[in-house]
Amino acid sequence: MITGADIVNLLSSTLISMVPILLASVGEIITEKSGVVNIGLEGIFIISSFAATVVAYYTSDPLLALFVGTIVGSLSGLLHGVISAYLNGDQIIAGVGFNSFAYGLALMIMVALWQSYGSSPTVKTLPMILVPMAGTTLYIPPLAVAALIIAVLVYYWLNKTRSGLKVRACGEDPRSAESMGINVRRTRLYATILGATLTGLGGAYLTVWWIGQFTKFISAGRGFIALANVAFSNWNPLLAILGALIFGFFSALSIFLPLKLQQIYHVQYTAQIYLFNTIPYIATLVIVAFIMKRVRMPRALGKPYIKE
Amino acid sequence: MPSKDGFFQKLRARFRARAQDYGMAALEVFLSAAIGFLAGAIALLVLGYDPLRVYEVLFSWGYTDVGYLLLKSTPLIMTAIAFSIPALAGVFNIGGESQLYVGALLGLLVAYYIHNAPLAIIVAILGGAGLGLFIALLRVYRGINEVITAIMVNWIMYWLLAYLVTGPFNNPKLPQQSVPVPKSAQIPMFSVVGVNIAGSFILAVIGALVIYYIVFYTKTGYIMRVSGLSPASAKYAGFSPEKAILTSMLIGGAAAGLGGALLVLGDVHSIDTTLSAVYGLGFTGIGIGLLGRNNPIGIIFAAIFFSGLLIGGQYVELFLNAPPNLSDFLIGVIVIALSIPYAYRFIISWIKRRRMTK
Repeated sequence: MITGADIVNLLSSTLISMVPILLASVGEIITEKSGVVNIGLEGIFIISSFAATVVAYYTSDPLLALFVGTIVGSLSGLLHGVISAYLNGDQIIAGVGFNSFAYGLALMIMVALWQSYGSSPTVKTLPMILVPMAGTTLYIPPLAVAALIIAVLVYYWLNKTRSGLKVRACGEDPRSAESMGINVRRTRLYATILGATLTGLGGAYLTVWWIGQFTKFISAGRGFIALANVAFSNWNPLLAILGALIFGFFSALSIFLPLKLQQIYHVQYTAQIYLFNTIPYIATLVIVAFIMKRVRMPRALGKPYIKE
Repeated sequence: MPSKDGFFQKLRARFRARAQDYGMAALEVFLSAAIGFLAGAIALLVLGYDPLRVYEVLFSWGYTDVGYLLLKSTPLIMTAIAFSIPALAGVFNIGGESQLYVGALLGLLVAYYIHNAPLAIIVAILGGAGLGLFIALLRVYRGINEVITAIMVNWIMYWLLAYLVTGPFNNPKLPQQSVPVPKSAQIPMFSVVGVNIAGSFILAVIGALVIYYIVFYTKTGYIMRVSGLSPASAKYAGFSPEKAILTSMLIGGAAAGLGGALLVLGDVHSIDTTLSAVYGLGFTGIGIGLLGRNNPIGIIFAAIFFSGLLIGGQYVELFLNAPPNLSDFLIGVIVIALSIPYAYRFIISWIKRRRMTK
């Protein structure tokens, strides 16, 4: 029953939904390697996808929108970085607060601009790479290719270069890092901004390269799936690619499966559709539950660096 | 004879000993709220609304109907406790959301099929506690960060609940909602000196006091708090931080489950298919728990305060056409501001130093 076309379609959706998770995961790996945990990824997805939508709507320039959305991500990282690295704030609480703040802010502006409570008007999206295959078309988002390259580069940077070593030192043993002449606070700030920038790019992609519209459930837990992926990958950007592909596949499956089953059995699902929506979350939970035991997180992760 | 001191004398002595801590906490809470409202005013101004007018409506309409205010604060008290008790033991329970869903659903079903409110409440408490324990077990035995588990469980339960209220337990006469709680299993309102006090609110306050007693006056509570402050010291003292995590999540989940049952039996009496009756109560509870300084009694007041903001937010929308999500925004900024107590202490010590040099 499963045709070649089905497989190609499934592959397309896997690649499309992998992008934001991979970008956010790689970004969060950089942030966490420096010793800062940012659980506000969900909020960054929301606020940057919303900013991108606004820019795309008013300028009809999705590329500019992608850029602005990314910058909004950087600014979110600046906020979290200052709180975490300089104000010795509780990083988890700040992240939770940011998620609520971002959701509230995006929806407030949406209501003010468009008097709409659920979703924005649709906007123009950026093109995908189309490859005709097995009687259908394989969609490859160019950003998927870029995200893969970024993941490899970040792996190389963190593990094989001097500046990457400095970042890791701040997350493993900030006191020793300081005595080696590394400015721990500044390094952590930069790492947090960099991580949030990549997440912001992923968020902007959600609306101006994929869905073409902002909805209030736009991020749908993807920020937390990315956090799960960071742990799954054992803080390794190369393994994060594998994780993002797995999570992307299960997201794709949750859309593909009900369509296919309805087609095969000639039935019409109504409420049952909701059950298929649980697939990516159940898969994440199961995968993490079987893998987590062997991971080793940066030793100073989440702890403020307080000088004596 | 100090050993024969009454409860209130003890409480007073305790309060006096901690006066400075409480003063500091009150200051942090006040400053955070002030920052929240200031940021809110700026955002409103930029969006073209008059912040003074918005806040006037928010406060004058949010807190006028006391009975309604207390009714709406009921589930929030419980979800805040669901966050705070694990927080004292060093666990970050953001699963109050789904623990409340489970309580609401189980409470609804027991009430619908068996027409028995006390049984519905007990089943809801057990359901919430079970879900809380599940997250804690994964943390303790598989080392999985509870934040990740909780969010995944939240989404799984969200869609499961959406399925159940639109599918098997849908009300055929009113397809936009679930089967109802029958009259005989509803928790009534009581008229006390002209104010309608919800029975569910009274139960929530009793629940909060019981949990307050467990946390601050029993050995179980003591072990939880020590483990939260320093797992190493807890181990050294012969306590098990792992067991403290499990206990705290059990209590937290139970609280959220109770909150769900009280919401359904005492207020909404059915769950709508868009889940707007239950969605967000757990997340709001996090902010309330933090604002209440993880203290069940502080939480009762913080919940009433936030509940007024949420009610007032609806009037702001009605009268001024301003966005209702202002409350999410305010809560977010307040929580962010609460994450940096160090900064406030720094400011205060700086002011003190300046005064001394004068």
